[in-house]
Amino acid sequence: MVSVELRGIQKRWEDFALTIERLRARDGELLTLLGPSGCGKTTTLRIIAGLEKPNSGEVLFDGTPVNDLPPYERNIGIVFQDYALFPHMTVFKNVAFGLEMRKLPRMEIERRVKRALELVNLEGLENRYPEQLSGGQQQRIALARALVVEPQVLLLDEPLSNLDAKIRERLRSEIKRIQRELKITTIYVTHDQEEAMALSDRIAVMNFGRIEQVGKPLELYHHPKTEFVARFLGSSNILELKAENGVVRLGSLRFNVGISGRVKMFFRPESVRVKEGNDAHVVDYEILPGRVRFKLKIDGKVITSEGLLSDIPFDIEEPPKRVGVEISTFAIL
Amino acid sequence: MRMRPTKLILIIPVALLVVFFYVPLISILQTGLWDNGPTLKFISSVLVNSYHRRVIEFTVAQALASTVLTLAIGLPGAYIFAKYDFPGKRTIRAVLTVPFVMPSVMVALGFILLFGRGGIITDLIGHDLGILYSWKGILLAHAFYNFPIVVRMVSALWQRINPHYEEAAMTLGARGWRLFWRVTLPMLSPAIFASAMLTFVFCFLSFSIPLIIGGYRYATIEVDIFTSIMTLLDFRTGAALAVIQIVLSMVFMYLYLKSLDAYAKREEQRVMQRPRRMTLSELASLKGSLIITYALFIFIFIVSPLLAVLYDSLHFNGVWSLENYRRIFSAEYDPMFGASTLDAIRNSLTFGFATVFLSLLTALPIAYSMHRWNFRGKRVFDVLATLPLASSAITLGLGYIRVFSGTALYYTPWLLIAAYTIISYPFVLRTVSASLKKIRPNLWEAALSLGAKEWKAFLRVELPLALGGLIVGSIFAFAMSIAELGATYMLAKPEYTTMTLAVYKFLGARQFGSASALAVLLMLISTAGFLLIERTGEEVW
Ligand SMILES: Nc1ncnc2c1ncn2[C@@H]1O[C@H](COP(=O)(O)OP(=O)(O)OP(=O)(O)O)[C@@H](O)[C@H]1O
Ligand SMILES: [Mg+2]
Repeated sequence: MVSVELRGIQKRWEDFALTIERLRARDGELLTLLGPSGCGKTTTLRIIAGLEKPNSGEVLFDGTPVNDLPPYERNIGIVFQDYALFPHMTVFKNVAFGLEMRKLPRMEIERRVKRALELVNLEGLENRYPEQLSGGQQQRIALARALVVEPQVLLLDEPLSNLDAKIRERLRSEIKRIQRELKITTIYVTHDQEEAMALSDRIAVMNFGRIEQVGKPLELYHHPKTEFVARFLGSSNILELKAENGVVRLGSLRFNVGISGRVKMFFRPESVRVKEGNDAHVVDYEILPGRVRFKLKIDGKVITSEGLLSDIPFDIEEPPKRVGVEISTFAIL
Repeated sequence: MRMRPTKLILIIPVALLVVFFYVPLISILQTGLWDNGPTLKFISSVLVNSYHRRVIEFTVAQALASTVLTLAIGLPGAYIFAKYDFPGKRTIRAVLTVPFVMPSVMVALGFILLFGRGGIITDLIGHDLGILYSWKGILLAHAFYNFPIVVRMVSALWQRINPHYEEAAMTLGARGWRLFWRVTLPMLSPAIFASAMLTFVFCFLSFSIPLIIGGYRYATIEVDIFTSIMTLLDFRTGAALAVIQIVLSMVFMYLYLKSLDAYAKREEQRVMQRPRRMTLSELASLKGSLIITYALFIFIFIVSPLLAVLYDSLHFNGVWSLENYRRIFSAEYDPMFGASTLDAIRNSLTFGFATVFLSLLTALPIAYSMHRWNFRGKRVFDVLATLPLASSAITLGLGYIRVFSGTALYYTPWLLIAAYTIISYPFVLRTVSASLKKIRPNLWEAALSLGAKEWKAFLRVELPLALGGLIVGSIFAFAMSIAELGATYMLAKPEYTTMTLAVYKFLGARQFGSASALAVLLMLISTAGFLLIERTGEEVW
């Protein structure tokens, strides 16, 4: 397996420019490119695959530039959003294609195709044609076809977006299992933050052709560097406050931020714990399955809190007018 | 070492096009426009000559009239095919492919046998309808060839019109004719216009049909060039006419290709509406009987010339007999055109296969490069590669006589095959390109990512998926080559007589029985092509 690195990549179209100063997927890691539609995720993936030539910059596999290598010499596996199974070939032929291109002996091909189909739990469909398979089955065949050649890098472009929610979750954990099993360096493209959080070792959040932040899922979730990242990953409390002598005051609460002046303070609703006390005024509340969400007013600012129903220290049917508040994790944007 | 397809693959196609199209074309331009310097005197002497001027006017007029007749026959069919399922529809749809592969000499012969003096229909009605040797016969034969194009193209688009448009218009109060005029027709117009333009171009360049059933009075430019060269040996006039023809047909071809773009764009919206199955009571209603009548009419229209030829071939001196077949295979008939019937069959087949081979060799690299690459001058290259569409067999024949007479190539079959290739390869190029365009680019990229080199990805993934188009294009090339008459007449030595040429010569000698017998053999070959097209299930246009 290898590491994949992008350095100084630029790709320009009439109305779009992709700029990636530096991005590295470590050996055996699952790195997700996450961002809204049109932000350049697919383009980045295609540059790594060699299907698109950047205007400038380098793609390195294990430190070696591969810019001049055509896709068929990069030893990669790709799964496209619409799977791109060859319609005129059976499942067996589809999966065997890459091995045939590598001129492996017949026996070896049969053995490896069989193993790949086992890996994706799809034995016995060898002689079907793609159109005779369900979407989920097609997706697994596409995965088997990409994996059977033992690529150094696996590239997945929204591989689950054409499936319905149930199958999506099942395949998601299956992809993760296979990726862990094979320890294959994987770059995964999605615009679904839940999928990204569930799967990734690290996530690179993209916006308008740029990478906003790279980090572990929880690190991005609780410590985003920009408002975009904060908002894209889930619901947020973002407050404009003043810091004096490195301390921000919010009602009776105090936060050490280490800087002074105007700051934008961020925290997730889950980081706000409601307890008995007198810090905030309860504006409104909403009971969700197993959880409860409060709208609270502190010092004229409205914040949201979300927590487990079982953690609430009072009778939720008759909450008090004022509650105590504890904010465990926050970030300054 | 890396194997990447390079521009080298274009060497053969470009060489073929230059040697067998552009050099002859330039030679014609030179003959028609040059006399110690550029001159328009040959052109203007053609234009002031009342006969040639009448020919030019007639060519345009008959093409227009043929197009109108073709639309009149084809549009109701397009409507019926798009909207209804009725018993026998599959058969009728298949029969619509027949004209694509039937040589026009054979159809002309069929018309003679139907409408001529002593013809089947003439006998039936009791008097001559005056269809033969007049513009009426020409129009009818042109409609025979072209109305299937209208039916296919227009019904294909009609089925794809989103029903919501019509429903929305209906809720807004449009109904019946108003609905059709204001909503449906504008959406159909790209298909109608494209099929009409194609019909017009075919009729404009028509040769065999006006030659055989038009007679001297109703010559087209194509026929006029032919007679100028072959009977009057007047190359200046022939070339001047050819220049006029090329310029006009380039304009028409341009309009056709433009309209085709618009059509292709519309076709992409893939809202397929299944035609409605007609119930028995619907079939018995007025509408139902009109549909059945129409279906019957087009069936008879297409089949009757062929049946007439078959019937005639089996009659000798008014009784059923195989004498005609015996005669064409007997030795005493060889001297008539310097080759035996078996030779003619062999010539037709070998030239046909050679044409298919060369057409593929020319069309595939061009299709590949247009599909795959972006290069400077791509548009110009596209135009230059498509230009042979606007030329004609007679023009090529003239050019070849100018360029190759005296060379070793002259009087060899290669020159014939080259001419066939130049006129038919654009069709292969078109069908293959159209099929390639339908393939999702992802498949090619997936193949590359799996380690397939570019040419391997093309051969293993894209070409198999474009096979339908490739087969249909090849059959066209084959059908066009075995049906070609003008250039064959101009360039073939007697021993290279083809079946089509032999039929024509039998006709010229008024030996209808032998012509029919040979035409039936030609029909059998064409039928094989027809069956192959049916099996691929590929749309022909
Ligand atoms: N071949 C191309 N030519 C011109 N512009 C392109 C091309 N490919 C992509 N773009 C533009 O680049 C931008 C980014 O495209 P890209 O496909 O990388 O986005 P994405 O993040 O994958 O979006 P999505 O989630 O919708 O798939 C878009 O604005 C798109 O219009
Ligand atoms: Mg994308």
